Amino acid sequence: MPSLSTQKYSKNKIVWLYIVSGGLVLGTALIGLLTSSVSFPIPTIIHIILDKTLHLGWLEDVPKNEQLIIWNIRLPRVLLAFCVGASLSLAGAAFQGLLRNPLADPYTIGVSSGASLGAVIVMFFQVNIIGLGNYTLPVVAIVSGLLTLFVVFGLVRLSSRSLAIETIILAGIIVSAFVGSLISLLIALGDKDSMSQIIYWLYGSVGMRGWSHVQLIIPFMIVGAIILLMHDRELNALALGEEAADHIGVNVKRGKIYILIGASLLTGAAVSVSGSIGFVGLVIPHLVRLVAGPNHRHVLPLSMLIGGSFLILADLVSRTMIAPKELPIGVITALIGAPVFAFLLIRERLGRGENV
Amino acid sequence: MIKIEDLVGGYAKKRIINGLNLQINQGEFFVLLGPNGSGKTTLFKLVTGQLPIQHGRISIAGKSLSTLSKIDKAKHIAVLTQEVHISFDFTVEEIVSLGRYPHQKSLFKRLTTDDREVIETVMDMLKINQFRNTPFRMLSGGEKQRVLLAKALAQEPEILLLDEPTNHLDIKHTFQMLDMLKEWQQTKNLTIFAILHDLNVASLYADRVALLHEGNVVDVGDINTLRNETQLEKVYEVQVKTQPHPIVPKPQLVMTPTYTNSESETPDGHSLTIKQNEAHIHLQFEQPLRTISNGMVGGGIEWFKHFCLFHVETNNHCSEQMIYQQMEAYDIPFEQAVGIMTTANIADTVIVTKRKDNFEMIALVIVDLMVNQHSLPSRAPRMIHMMIFMDGHVTDASLVSGYMAAAEAKAMAIQHLKPAHHPLKNSDINDCLVVAAQQQRNGTVDVEEADVRKGIMNIAYEAMKKALHKYVQT
Repeated sequence: MPSLSTQKYSKNKIVWLYIVSGGLVLGTALIGLLTSSVSFPIPTIIHIILDKTLHLGWLEDVPKNEQLIIWNIRLPRVLLAFCVGASLSLAGAAFQGLLRNPLADPYTIGVSSGASLGAVIVMFFQVNIIGLGNYTLPVVAIVSGLLTLFVVFGLVRLSSRSLAIETIILAGIIVSAFVGSLISLLIALGDKDSMSQIIYWLYGSVGMRGWSHVQLIIPFMIVGAIILLMHDRELNALALGEEAADHIGVNVKRGKIYILIGASLLTGAAVSVSGSIGFVGLVIPHLVRLVAGPNHRHVLPLSMLIGGSFLILADLVSRTMIAPKELPIGVITALIGAPVFAFLLIRERLGRGENV
Repeated sequence: MIKIEDLVGGYAKKRIINGLNLQINQGEFFVLLGPNGSGKTTLFKLVTGQLPIQHGRISIAGKSLSTLSKIDKAKHIAVLTQEVHISFDFTVEEIVSLGRYPHQKSLFKRLTTDDREVIETVMDMLKINQFRNTPFRMLSGGEKQRVLLAKALAQEPEILLLDEPTNHLDIKHTFQMLDMLKEWQQTKNLTIFAILHDLNVASLYADRVALLHEGNVVDVGDINTLRNETQLEKVYEVQVKTQPHPIVPKPQLVMTPTYTNSESETPDGHSLTIKQNEAHIHLQFEQPLRTISNGMVGGGIEWFKHFCLFHVETNNHCSEQMIYQQMEAYDIPFEQAVGIMTTANIADTVIVTKRKDNFEMIALVIVDLMVNQHSLPSRAPRMIHMMIFMDGHVTDASLVSGYMAAAEAKAMAIQHLKPAHHPLKNSDINDCLVVAAQQQRNGTVDVEEADVRKGIMNIAYEAMKKALHKYVQT
């Protein structure tokens, strides 16, 4: 039967995709650890990591400063880049599936800006919610991201009855612009020091953060990822439309709420540790779909892996291009993402059979 | 089995369904009919649970729907609607697999071998196997709808709800789709509850129908419910006539538009042209006439514009094909024509015209002579063809009455007038008789059945008399 062989073929293909993506993550991480102003041999790097994590080091007398550089500076940076990239890509894939909109991502629908506003408020006013401690920043960012999402949806509902692709993007842009001006207002009110600090933060960066930021993002990332990965079947069913998904037994309302919460957790946490980094959530899931097909069972985990390694690479470019100075990572992702976004917009229209 | 009791529901501001009762039996194809806004879709949404039930109860197999979870409901009921837009490039197989959603139980909720088997069977039955790896987006409308049906059937439902599933489809795909559904219904004892727009399609496929009007059931029953013309006219506000389907014993409905035909007439009121030569006589009317005939071409009850007699040398090898050839030669469209063959001289045709109170009639008679071939008397008449045309709105029943009257008049005339010792039969197996009424002409009057009979009797007798006279004299 030909169907069996194609099934086998596609199964094999998926397995290979996972292997390649996993390899990509390890490879980019290694390059990230290796490349910088001072480079160390690979064995040293591996030794330091294994020694620190599992006490399995085999090399004698590695200089203390090398250990410090690798363990305290480069590794958290690479890990943070991976977490942020994975979170944003997964959130993007989920938003796209939920809204049945290939142009949706945390950045284009305004969640990133909302989360940024929350984060800026926390930093600017030195807010500290009792009981949350350091987690005040991500929690406020997540909540304000969710609120912004509801504002965007409210705007869409009021302006048109259908969740048209362009309407969602338009509402996202309007809300983003508004939120952006609020942030500018805050910056303008502040003193010079905090101003440049916030502006630089807004561009997005994973540098100079250290382990504390990795600790900030990881719990939210794990919870958000588990929520989303558990809802792959619902996301597939939603491709039929909410009504038809309901007809095959999907609890659409509950599924939507879980997916929105999961995606907002990921976005808010990512924004609070790295600033707003755009277009990762748009480009990566799209690339994954091109190769792996639209089934969310594979789109979601593969997006995480590819998105993580993509951001490690983007970070690498941002700190090596004009070394010793650093470019904000958001600039790199936007340089790549914006043209892809334009391309998708045109393709989407072509796909619906309209003439250019 | 679906039982709907005392159902009230609709939207917050407006109740659409008001105390509706309905029962759909196990394994039947039940069709819900009614104009737009009669509440069909609302009733459907109440059954699928998209709208809340305000009062009353819907139960399937004795269990109240409101006690079932979404997943359990999807195990019993599948829905097929009009074409849906599917985002992302899912393949046909992936779409069909979604139908297994309510049946996935294991911890990881993946497709089991059983699931795969169901998917394969359904795709086989609906003949979409060859598309399994094709993106859904690339399919034609009919194929898409077949895939969505496969997805619904992959749910292994006992009840299938159809909400105008053939709306975007052409006739070929509509009938293909409904044939598949009918087959599934009969082989798997599937209960089908459908909204269909087309009354005639509904009549062909439904076991029972319900007519919905202003949120309530006006009538429920087998397809003969559709024979109630006054009820349909009240509900749809369109003039409706029922007719038998020519092949299946089911009613078909024809709708009459309210506009009147404003095609101009010839100034003198004559809408008839007659062309005649040695070989044929051709009567052509401006407007088609309601015609009952047993002509070789154009038999039955139909609308015709052209009425022709063709001359042939011998009647032995007379066939429809010959008439078609003749019609083609004279540029007569044969789907709008009655054609008769005769061995008589066309010049011997007798035409009689009569007019009484604005009611005009024309009779045409030709007596066909036996060609001198065998031992029979040389000028024995063999066949008599007769055509009668009249003005006026005439029902089909009157037309049949008129047909009887013409036959009677013909027989009477032969009895009275035939010369002694002539072997002239009352009728021959090849005799043709045509009665046609010009229904649509402006200013035509309604004619009573009795008047039709009388008028035809008179004119037919007179025409026969003239024709036989001619024959006796020669």
